[in-house]
Amino acid sequence: MSNLGEYEMDFYQSNYIIDQQEQSYHDSNAYGNLYGSRQTQATEQHQPSSSVPPEMFLPASYAGQPFQPASNLDYYPHSSSDDGFDEEPPLLEELGINFDHIWQKTLTVLNPMKPADGSIMNETDLTGPILFCVALGATLLMAGKAQFGYVYGMSAIGCLLLHTLLNLMSSAGVSYGCVASVLGYCLLPMVILSSCAIFFSLQGTLGTASVLLIITWCSLSASKIFISALSMEGQQLLVAYPCALFYGLFALLTIF
Amino acid sequence: MAYHSGYGAHGSKHRTRAAPDSPPLFDDTSGGYSSQPGGYPAPGADVAFSVNHLLGDPVANMAMAYGSSIASQGKDIVHKELHRFVSVNKLKYFFAVDTAYVAKKLGLLVFPYTHQDWKMQYSHDVPLPPRNDLNAPDLYIPTMAFITYVLLAGTALGIQKRFSPEVLGLCASTALVWMVMEVLALLLGLYLATVRSELSTFHLLAYSGYKYVGMILSVITGLLFGSDGYYVALAWTSSALMYFIVRSLRTAALGPDSMGGPAPRQRLQLYLTLGAAAFQPLIIYWLTFHLVR
Repeated sequence: MSNLGEYEMDFYQSNYIIDQQEQSYHDSNAYGNLYGSRQTQATEQHQPSSSVPPEMFLPASYAGQPFQPASNLDYYPHSSSDDGFDEEPPLLEELGINFDHIWQKTLTVLNPMKPADGSIMNETDLTGPILFCVALGATLLMAGKAQFGYVYGMSAIGCLLLHTLLNLMSSAGVSYGCVASVLGYCLLPMVILSSCAIFFSLQGTLGTASVLLIITWCSLSASKIFISALSMEGQQLLVAYPCALFYGLFALLTIF
Repeated sequence: MAYHSGYGAHGSKHRTRAAPDSPPLFDDTSGGYSSQPGGYPAPGADVAFSVNHLLGDPVANMAMAYGSSIASQGKDIVHKELHRFVSVNKLKYFFAVDTAYVAKKLGLLVFPYTHQDWKMQYSHDVPLPPRNDLNAPDLYIPTMAFITYVLLAGTALGIQKRFSPEVLGLCASTALVWMVMEVLALLLGLYLATVRSELSTFHLLAYSGYKYVGMILSVITGLLFGSDGYYVALAWTSSALMYFIVRSLRTAALGPDSMGGPAPRQRLQLYLTLGAAAFQPLIIYWLTFHLVR
C-alpha cells in the first residue's frame, strides 16, 4: 500500500505550500511507513503513522532525502529553501552561460582586422569553446571521421603547451582558463572549414590555399587577443606561430 | 523506486518551506543552521541543492572545504616539485626572444658562413638574453621547429595517403626520444671528459634542437621538388648546421673569461663537439627520409 501511496505522491503537483509543522509531521510519517524499522528515529514518530490516511501524504514529504534515513529530514536545515520556487535564478544564469557574451566574443573573433581590447577575455568562459569543439567534431563526423577524442585531446594538450609557452614568454602570467577560452573561440573558422570539407575535398590547390587562409585567420585573431591581454610588444608573430601550429593540427584532421 | 523519480520535482517544492525551528526530538549541530538563511550561498545552494540535501549540511560543507584545501595543497606540492627540477627563471631566459632575433637566427642557421663574431656577450658575468645577443641560444626556435616537424610529417604522410592521427603521436614521440638520447649522450660525454663549461642541460637541448630547422627545410624541399631536391637540401642544411654547431659550441663553452682550460681538455672538448656535429646529418636523414619517398 505504501508503494501505491508513493506513486500517488509523485504526481501530486499541487498544494505543496502547507503548514510547516504539518509537513514535518507528514514527513516523518511517510518515512515511518517506508522504513518501518528505523530504530534511530524517536519512537514518538511512529505513533501517529497508522492514523494518517495516505492522501494526506504530500509530495513535499519525499523531498530531499532518497539516500538518507528520514531522521535527518526533520533536522535538516532548510535554510536554503528560503528562496521561493519562483525566485530561483534561471538555469542559464546559474550555470554562468551568457549567450549574449558568447555571441559578442564570437563576433570579435570573426573579424581579425578590428583591434581587440584586452578586457575581453577577463571572464574566462569555456562554454563557447566547448560548443565549437563539439561543432568541429560533428562536422568531422559528417565527413566520415569519428575523431571526437582526437579533437578534445589535441585541444587540451595544445592549450596546455601554449599556456606554458605564454607564461614563459611574457612577464605577466596568464591562466589556463583564459588560454583555453581564447583558443576555443578562435576555433570557429576551423569549424567553417571542416563544414566545407564535407562537400568537397581539400587536397587540391584551392583546398590548400583555403586551409592556409583559415589557419592564418584563426592564428591572427588568437594572437591579437593574446597580445592585447598580455601586453607583449614586438612578439605578435612569435605568438601567432604557435597558434598557427595548434590550428594546423586541426587542419590536418580536417584535410586527411 | 518511485520516490527517486519524483525526487527532482519534489525537491523544488521542498524549498518553499520556511526554515523550521530546531525540532525538539533530535538534538544535534544541524539545529544551529536552521535559522540561518544565509548559511548557504544562495545560487550555489540552488544549483547544488541535491548535493547538500544528500550529504547533510555541516558535514558536507566541512568536507568540501577540506577537499578544496587538499586540492590547493596538492597543487602547491606539484609546483614545488616542478620547481626543484626545472628552474623557471632559467627557463624564462631561453624564451626571452623577439621577432627580430628569431628572423636573424633562422638566417644564421641556414647560412652561417658569413657570420664573423660568434662569442656570446656577457654583462657582469651573466649572459645576455637572446633578445639582446644573437649568439645566445634560445629554446623558442627548437620547440617551434619540433612541433612544425611533427605537423610536416603528418602532412607528408597524408600526401602519401598514410595519415591517421595516431601517426602524429608516433612521429612526435620518436623525435622526442631521439632528442632526449642525444642530449643524454652529450651530457655523458661532457661529464666523462670532465669539461667544466657553462653549458647547462638547456643549452644542450637548444643546440640539439636547432637541427629541426634543417629537417623542416629538407622535408619542404623534398615535398616541393621531389627526391633530388630533398638530397640537395639535406646536404646544404647538414653542412650549415655542422658549421654552426662547431663554431657556437666552441665559443659557448668558453665562458665569460674566455679561458678554456688545459690543452688536453680542450682537445677532448673539440672531439666532443665534432662528434656532436657529425651526428646531426645522420639523425636528420634518419628522421626524414621516410617522408619524402
